[in-house]
Amino acid sequence: MERLQGQDLKQAFSAATGCLEEYRDLVNALNVFPVPDGDTGTNMLLTMRAAVQSAGQDHSVALVSAALANGAFYGARGNSGVILSQFFKGFSQALAGKESLAGEDLALAFKLASDAAYKSVGKPVEGTMLTVIRMASEAIAASGQASPRTVLDVWETAYQASQDALDRTPQQLPVLREAGVVDAGGLGIVVLIGGVLQSLADGNPTAVDLSELSRYQVASNRDGGGPINAEYLDATVEQEWGNCTQFIISGENLDLDQVRSHFLETAQSTVVVGDDRNIRVHIHVEDTGPALTYAESLGVLSQLKIENMDSQNQTFATGHRSGENTAAALALLPVTPGDGLALLFRESGCAAVIEGGQTMNPSVGQILEAARATGAKDVIILPNNSNVVLAAEQAAGSESFIHVVPTTSIPQGVAAMLAFNPEGPWRDNLDAMNAALSNVASVEVTLGVKGVKIGGVEVAEGQYIGLLEGRLVTAEDSPETALRSALDLAGLSDDAIVTLYYGAEAQASDAESVAQILQNEFRGIQVDLINGGQPHYQYLASVE
Amino acid sequence: MTVRIVTDSSADLPVDLIQKHQITVLPCYVVVDDQTFKDGVDIQADEFYRRLQSEGRTPTTAQPTVADFQEVYRDLVRQGDQIVSIHVSGKLSGTMNSAQQAKASLDDSGNDSGQESGDGAKVEIIDSQLASIPLGLAVLDAAMLAAEGQDYLEIAAKVRELLPSYHGLFALDTLEYLQKGGRIGKARAFMGSVLHVKPILRLQDGEAHPVERPRNRDRAMRHLVELAQELAPVRRLAVIHSTDPERMETLKQGLTSLLPADQIIEARFGSTLGTYIGPDALGVAITQDSG
Repeated sequence: MERLQGQDLKQAFSAATGCLEEYRDLVNALNVFPVPDGDTGTNMLLTMRAAVQSAGQDHSVALVSAALANGAFYGARGNSGVILSQFFKGFSQALAGKESLAGEDLALAFKLASDAAYKSVGKPVEGTMLTVIRMASEAIAASGQASPRTVLDVWETAYQASQDALDRTPQQLPVLREAGVVDAGGLGIVVLIGGVLQSLADGNPTAVDLSELSRYQVASNRDGGGPINAEYLDATVEQEWGNCTQFIISGENLDLDQVRSHFLETAQSTVVVGDDRNIRVHIHVEDTGPALTYAESLGVLSQLKIENMDSQNQTFATGHRSGENTAAALALLPVTPGDGLALLFRESGCAAVIEGGQTMNPSVGQILEAARATGAKDVIILPNNSNVVLAAEQAAGSESFIHVVPTTSIPQGVAAMLAFNPEGPWRDNLDAMNAALSNVASVEVTLGVKGVKIGGVEVAEGQYIGLLEGRLVTAEDSPETALRSALDLAGLSDDAIVTLYYGAEAQASDAESVAQILQNEFRGIQVDLINGGQPHYQYLASVE
Repeated sequence: MTVRIVTDSSADLPVDLIQKHQITVLPCYVVVDDQTFKDGVDIQADEFYRRLQSEGRTPTTAQPTVADFQEVYRDLVRQGDQIVSIHVSGKLSGTMNSAQQAKASLDDSGNDSGQESGDGAKVEIIDSQLASIPLGLAVLDAAMLAAEGQDYLEIAAKVRELLPSYHGLFALDTLEYLQKGGRIGKARAFMGSVLHVKPILRLQDGEAHPVERPRNRDRAMRHLVELAQELAPVRRLAVIHSTDPERMETLKQGLTSLLPADQIIEARFGSTLGTYIGPDALGVAITQDSG
């Protein structure tokens, strides 16, 4: 095959996506950090699926590669997905205006793909999928010096170079070396390049055998790639809280008809009954203040009862709401795992929440959609997970109304949220929220998923690990001891505020006894206990 | 001829200052367990907060009636006095309406004008865009100007000019009472019960706006002091509490870099404000020195 047409390209990446599906668990299992977020393979697979799905029936490689890039962009999940989407962006830029693709075009395509991938992360780290992409690109450039070559030849070069690069990742990245694995995202790239090669070489005796990649297998006691449930909370949930308001106005010579017509005009679900001395009013209003001020100008109010309808069911609220919905000028949109945490963010003034986190990273498209659904003029995203930050930044890069405070944990997210003032300009809010992050130490406790040694801490199978600011600092036999030990490292004092979020897999009573112990040891310490309901993490905590 | 300063009990002015400056205060009404009381007359703060925190219906408030205003204005006008009447923000209460209707119903000599919207008596009514002791500070300035012998129109013009220099900062223990009383307004953004934040609100454009959400009372007090210090230089300063005089004293000591302690006014949220601000609330009111 000398030149690839658009549909050949689509076919090749579609086949590569199939390979990634086959090797997803292998990639997932390479996750070096012993926390249950081994879903690099899954994130890359979902990103690839979105890319291939958006590639239509066009003939030109220019249109097909642009469609792949666009699909990858909106479907990108996790940091690996975002980097991958940028790979396609660069790749398609090189093919702009081209009907078909020849071997010599690939040098520029890989070069631009590599450049775009590097640019997508703030501080590129070598020994990751970035390096694998770059080495493949450089190998193509070097080999192209000699003579014109076929697409298949060039791709073969890329495949070899990517494997060599992958093999070297442990030498470049100490964390991989300690864990004795190669980089997961890097392997994903090798699988993709190999998958394309296999497709291109179809029927060719030199066909590649991807099963050789199983040499990267690591022992894992965990099934990789669990079910992905990136289902959202409905992002269009009402912004405003309606209030069901009831009271009696007492006075003399009250004008019942006038009161009724006033509330029919200014409120919903109006029921006004009574006589010229006592009028009972039942209304639904967003802001009760003006209604009460009006009523008080007529007489004395009694039996006032105001109920927040937000807690009542949603269809009720929407069915009774007027068409005019005053969306906030500035909305805060956090990414949260767990019902308790979602409730905490929602009731503390967040417009909506994007469900997701450790094992279900929302895609760039989902973040964009949720941000648009708020209807706000500006939206600040709190990613609350290091593996969501890049997707959030990607979303912000494509829409100027989206801004990101790069929170990497729930405790950081809460600290940022408390510094949020919906009335301030977004810039001031970003400053205040970023500043708030530096006053908070974040602790996370989870079950270590495999026996490894990282940063001098040895984790035995079945031990609970404590992370401080995302770094592994302790491994203990119980989640409570791991929590305590990480909190100690975070620095406890008499005037500290500790916020403890216990997860779905922890007991309230265990959390209470930890709180009790801390309160006994540190006079004046404040320990707030919150049912976070988060999966995977027995405890999340912040120390201020 | 004397100019008399009239306000309502939501100004939370201490009794000694009311007497010293001969200020006329119309009591607002507060309805507790379906019994109606005159704020500061039939019910005192201690009794009110005790009942507020016990089980029972949410208290409600009501502005002084048109008849209440008529009586006060009539008596003063008949004595030959002029009146500057300064009241709680029209966005928070209907007090302004009562005052204006009463004024329109009286003629120059304090007799019933027989019309609902005449020029009325020599009364200047000012919507302070304030509430509580920040309103009290505006009233004090008016009383001082009256003592200097200025005309009621001059005094009203001067007070209106000064309105932007009055500030109010409040640290609440909970927004529950503001919500239950139906006056949550813009502070709604700081609602939430999962984290026990101690919201700080600021009076601005006649309403309470959210400012910060400290995590406990100590930090709330520290932030209150910092926010107050940002308003320096200060001409007059007041501290106010609902149920905790000791913490108000601590707050006052924290503010002595702005004014000496003996010049700081101490006040208490009466039952009108207490209905919304709740127990364990603190506040700072400032008259900025515009030089």
